[in-house]
Amino acid sequence: MGRRRTSLTPILFIIPAFLFILTIVIGPSLATVYMSFSVEGKLTLEKYFEVVTETSPKKALVLLPEGLEPPPWGALVHNIVWMAIHIPLVTLLGLFLAYILRYTIGSSIVKAIIFIGMVIPMVVGGLIIRFMFDKDVGVVPIVFDVLGLESLAKTWTSYPQLSLLALILGSVWLWTGFSLTVYSAALHAIPASYIEAARIDGAGHWHIFWKIVFPLVKPATIIVVIMTMLWDLKIFDIVYVATLGGPGGSSNVLALVMYLYMARAIDYNAAAVVAVILTLLTIPPGLWLALRGVRSGR
Amino acid sequence: MGEVFLDGVVKRFGRVTAVNGVTLRIRDGEFFVLLGPSGCGKTTTLRLIAGLEFPDEGRIYIDGEDVTYKDPKDRNVAMVFQNYALYPHMTVFDNIAFPLYMRRRELGLTKEEIRKRVVEVARLLRIDDLLNRKPGQLSGGQQQRVALARALVRRPRVWLMDEPLSNLDALLRLAMRAELKKLQKDLGITTVYVTHDQAEAMSMADRIAVMNEGRVVQVGSPEDVYLEPRHVFVATFIGAPPMNLIECKIVEGVGPNPALECPGFTRPLPGDAARVVEARGIKSVYLGVRPEFIAISKAETPGSIPGIVYVVEPLGSEHVVNVNIGEDTILKVKVLGLREKLRPGDKVYLNIDWSKVKIFDKATGEVLA
Repeated sequence: MGRRRTSLTPILFIIPAFLFILTIVIGPSLATVYMSFSVEGKLTLEKYFEVVTETSPKKALVLLPEGLEPPPWGALVHNIVWMAIHIPLVTLLGLFLAYILRYTIGSSIVKAIIFIGMVIPMVVGGLIIRFMFDKDVGVVPIVFDVLGLESLAKTWTSYPQLSLLALILGSVWLWTGFSLTVYSAALHAIPASYIEAARIDGAGHWHIFWKIVFPLVKPATIIVVIMTMLWDLKIFDIVYVATLGGPGGSSNVLALVMYLYMARAIDYNAAAVVAVILTLLTIPPGLWLALRGVRSGR
Repeated sequence: MGEVFLDGVVKRFGRVTAVNGVTLRIRDGEFFVLLGPSGCGKTTTLRLIAGLEFPDEGRIYIDGEDVTYKDPKDRNVAMVFQNYALYPHMTVFDNIAFPLYMRRRELGLTKEEIRKRVVEVARLLRIDDLLNRKPGQLSGGQQQRVALARALVRRPRVWLMDEPLSNLDALLRLAMRAELKKLQKDLGITTVYVTHDQAEAMSMADRIAVMNEGRVVQVGSPEDVYLEPRHVFVATFIGAPPMNLIECKIVEGVGPNPALECPGFTRPLPGDAARVVEARGIKSVYLGVRPEFIAISKAETPGSIPGIVYVVEPLGSEHVVNVNIGEDTILKVKVLGLREKLRPGDKVYLNIDWSKVKIFDKATGEVLA
């Protein structure tokens, strides 16, 4: 009896947490998946077909363009474009800044300023992006105005050609602090003798960076790329505040489409479909990162 | 070719002067050891030669060329680091080939020539079967060889080594000592080797520079620094156990020369020491004598110094006998093959080989005779 009780003890400890997760995470998740398949009491793929083939720019996931056209291209495409621009910029900028700031006096002040983007609420970040690209007060259009580039000296968020780009560039500013912090820690862990050995062996700055430093911070690069990918897929607040997906759906993203189905169209089933699609996209990279950590014992 | 000349080199870090006016001439093909306790400036001196630090004063020449402010890569020197600094993400082959790839254009090497040179140097160091492994899969001794190979592969003018053996276990260290010395002699590369281990310095060096507090105290062959220390610091830093120092007073002698009044005995001062002592008005000195230049006996002979055995340290082939000669002065005596059994408390007589005795000024630590 005593032995049986010991084997039950761990389960007793797990039960409260498990019940908690069951009611607030697993239950609603399964309910959402069920809802996405259920139309008038029947289980069908009807809603999926409807949501994926939707062509209204404010709700579309993918719009097939006829030739080279400015956005809207559909929320899913916008998310992919976002990742394609945002991930390399944030990764390289963070690594580059961390690398040059490593040997600079007063670098902690610069790092703190860059890190502000991580600390402020995303809603505030979205508002700042809106101001940053405003024709009258925004720094970006004013700089282009000074440079004489008329086509870029306007309120970016009001033009379908520029609104998505404005949000992506703004999010670079908001997210670089993360990548800078991760890379700073990774660079700190590289023994100085590696760099010194390379210097004596005849490597210049360029070779030291690409042949020694970059391969050695590979674990940090993996973290930065995957976390940024997940952040880009889930992006919502700054889009909601800065453009609400507009103008004309040109800066729409998946999470916002889900919200619009739920809060504007009151179509919970369609919102559930977008939620499931979004989750399916985020699971593989997230799972891969988690399993990689398990394998290497971290 | 590889002659290194440091001319009055000074290096400061903030308020600390790490290297204080070092002048050294390291000859071509020489195995030169910088020896000293931690913080004496020996590693900084090595880094100055490598170009990893720039001096605040003085000049550095390699083969007559002024390299004082040149980048490490323009000096054609190679360095072996204490932690080996092997690039963990590259294979052994890539690690060794790295210096060649970096100078590929400059040296006009093809891929095939690089491969040949890497294999050649790997064979020399007997690591040619490890070329496809990563450093993390190697033992300490193997990593050491890879580091040596990487430093050798581009045939540098000068080979710099920063305590390369200190991360190895004791047995391997002894084996590598001999091997490294042989390798250096076979290849004839000028080598500057930093260590705090006096036994390592003695066994490997052609010449040793003993450093303390940023200065070079003495430069000489291992025999020189061992038998003719110019300073109390060298006398006590080199040798295991170190030189015995007996504190003695200068007193009026019987003859024309003053005498030494030491714990347990009094003795006339030799002529050359007497002149210096009188000229400088020195009142107290250290008498220095190596433990192996004292004979121990249970029988009294003329001129022997009586003492009481304090403790006996057996070291296998030899014994170190600690003898109290009075006034809490303990002399260490090294005896090869102890003929009579000695126990603590035994009365013994010591005979010092006076021809090997050194006399140091107590105030400055400098040798007088």
